[in-house]
Amino acid sequence: MSVNHKVNILMVDDQPAKLLSYDAILTELGENLIKASSGREALEVLLKTDVAVVLMDVSMPEMDGFEMAEIIRQHPRFQKTAIIFISGVHLTDLDKLKGYQRGAVDYISVPVVPEVLRAKVSVFAELHRKRRQLEALNHELEQRVLDRTEELQESETRFRTLANSIPQLAWMADPGGATLWYNQRWYDYTGTTFDDVQGSGWHKLHHPEHVERVVQGLQRSWDTGEAWEDTFPLLGKDGEYRWFLSRAVPVFDSHGKLTRWFGTCTDVSRQMAAEEALRKTERLAAMGRVAGIIAHEINNPLEAITNAFYLLEAHPSLDEEARAYARMASEELARISHITRQSLSFYRESQQAVPVSVARVLDDVLELQGRHFRINGVELDKEYKSSGLILAYPAELKQVFLNLVGNALQAMPTGGRLRVTVRETAERGNLPRGIRISVCDTGTGIRPEDAKRLFEPFFTTKSTKGTGLGLWISKGIVQKYDGTIKFRSVRMNGSSATCFSVFIPGAMAAQSAGLTTLSGAS
Amino acid sequence: MPDSKVVILCVDDEPNSLVLRKLVLQKAGYEVVTTNSALGALDVLASRQIDLVLSDQLMPGQTGTELARQIKDRWPSIPVILISGVNEIPPDATIADLFMSKVEGPVMMCQNISDVLVKYRS
Repeated sequence: MSVNHKVNILMVDDQPAKLLSYDAILTELGENLIKASSGREALEVLLKTDVAVVLMDVSMPEMDGFEMAEIIRQHPRFQKTAIIFISGVHLTDLDKLKGYQRGAVDYISVPVVPEVLRAKVSVFAELHRKRRQLEALNHELEQRVLDRTEELQESETRFRTLANSIPQLAWMADPGGATLWYNQRWYDYTGTTFDDVQGSGWHKLHHPEHVERVVQGLQRSWDTGEAWEDTFPLLGKDGEYRWFLSRAVPVFDSHGKLTRWFGTCTDVSRQMAAEEALRKTERLAAMGRVAGIIAHEINNPLEAITNAFYLLEAHPSLDEEARAYARMASEELARISHITRQSLSFYRESQQAVPVSVARVLDDVLELQGRHFRINGVELDKEYKSSGLILAYPAELKQVFLNLVGNALQAMPTGGRLRVTVRETAERGNLPRGIRISVCDTGTGIRPEDAKRLFEPFFTTKSTKGTGLGLWISKGIVQKYDGTIKFRSVRMNGSSATCFSVFIPGAMAAQSAGLTTLSGAS
Repeated sequence: MPDSKVVILCVDDEPNSLVLRKLVLQKAGYEVVTTNSALGALDVLASRQIDLVLSDQLMPGQTGTELARQIKDRWPSIPVILISGVNEIPPDATIADLFMSKVEGPVMMCQNISDVLVKYRS
């Protein structure tokens, strides 16, 4: 209601002349003036309109002013309506008291003094206006509180939806660090309940090597109000630790007072594994470069020495004994040459990749190793589902397979079975089409503690017999073709099986090269 | 026994390597001329009959492949073999008739030379 809104003033009198004179007196107030000639008529008006002030003659036929006031008062809507009585006769204080009890607010005696009537009516009109304004304001406030409550509820719902849908684990704590809330993901990952992790209950989810630092770091933040960040392993319900990057930030109210802490834990295990792998690759690459440089520096004098012994061995001045020494030296030099050639493994005999049948290369290798199959008593099982035609350098492939087959044979000194398969694989997911070669043996197997280091340079399980470069080089070659090399070794009931699987992408159109299924031959 | 008239020009900046390689080749029955740089090799080639060039790859000044390119430009009928201790085969190695490793040994070296010569004669 606006300040200037007109209010209604109801004038009740059975004498039209009096009504007219009131009208004349009150017109200048600028309010709405309504006339009623009887109590009944006045009640009708009251029921239909919001009246600020009722100006009423005490003595009226039918129903006198007091009676009417009583009726008006009974209606809850009119309990606060101001009633001014006009009395032609002198009223005793007792009469006035009766009037007040019935709800009158003021009296005016006849003869009416216009200024007095105007002033009194005006006061009550203004009062009414103010009350209406106050009511409106009150209503508005209530509506705003209601809206705000709804907003808060909505905001709360939105927050919960958000907090439960983010990939992070999230939590909130009071200013002293007591946790108040965790999101659903926290419970899903840790498999705990709120009660489990209350107080210091969450400590048990931390790795023993990290928990002290984490607790100290958080305590420092509770004390200083500064944000916290750390990376540590957190125990999942599957019993495995995963690495999380965790942060806690203080939340302040509008007065700058710290009201709570909001924290998140982001799973960074995969990034960490990728970074670790990258570091390892870089280390290996650096090692490869160093090996290459050293090999080169060694190769020059090595050639000279080899040539010198070659000449010495055949020199006519030497007796048999000296010649034998020279021959031994030559043999040992050949071993050194072999090692440096292995680390110079990316040496290619052909200078361009050519179409190569993987199956044929494997057959060459198996034939070369034929003697060892017989000596060790190893049975051969071949299954070529494809000729495995790819663009490659045959010598490189030969080196890979010679290494795998050689290792397998060495793992079976007292016999066993070697199974070699070649098959073409179709494109699947982000894996392109290609050739998969597997070499499986029933030999001594790979110890789990060796598994991780198998492809590292200079790692060998064959003591002085191995250079520790075979698998490292094989992996390097396979990776050059964007391929992969992996293995599985299982041990059961005293026997074991080890399978190396090489995948080389980019199979060429299959040709009916007569290399279909061959098996059995050993 | 190869033709005794075959003359090999041997190029290497390392004196010991050069002398020993020369001796191995002489023992295999070749006549050997030596020089310690690509420029020296070009001088020799301009002044006398050479049947095959056996050059080191990494030398001060011009490399073996650079020397091979110039030989192929000016004397296309002379075979060139590069012998190297390097890890990576240079991309332009195909300019030579053969790119071999130093550690393949004296027997393999002589075999490679004789193979290339046979190819050129036929």
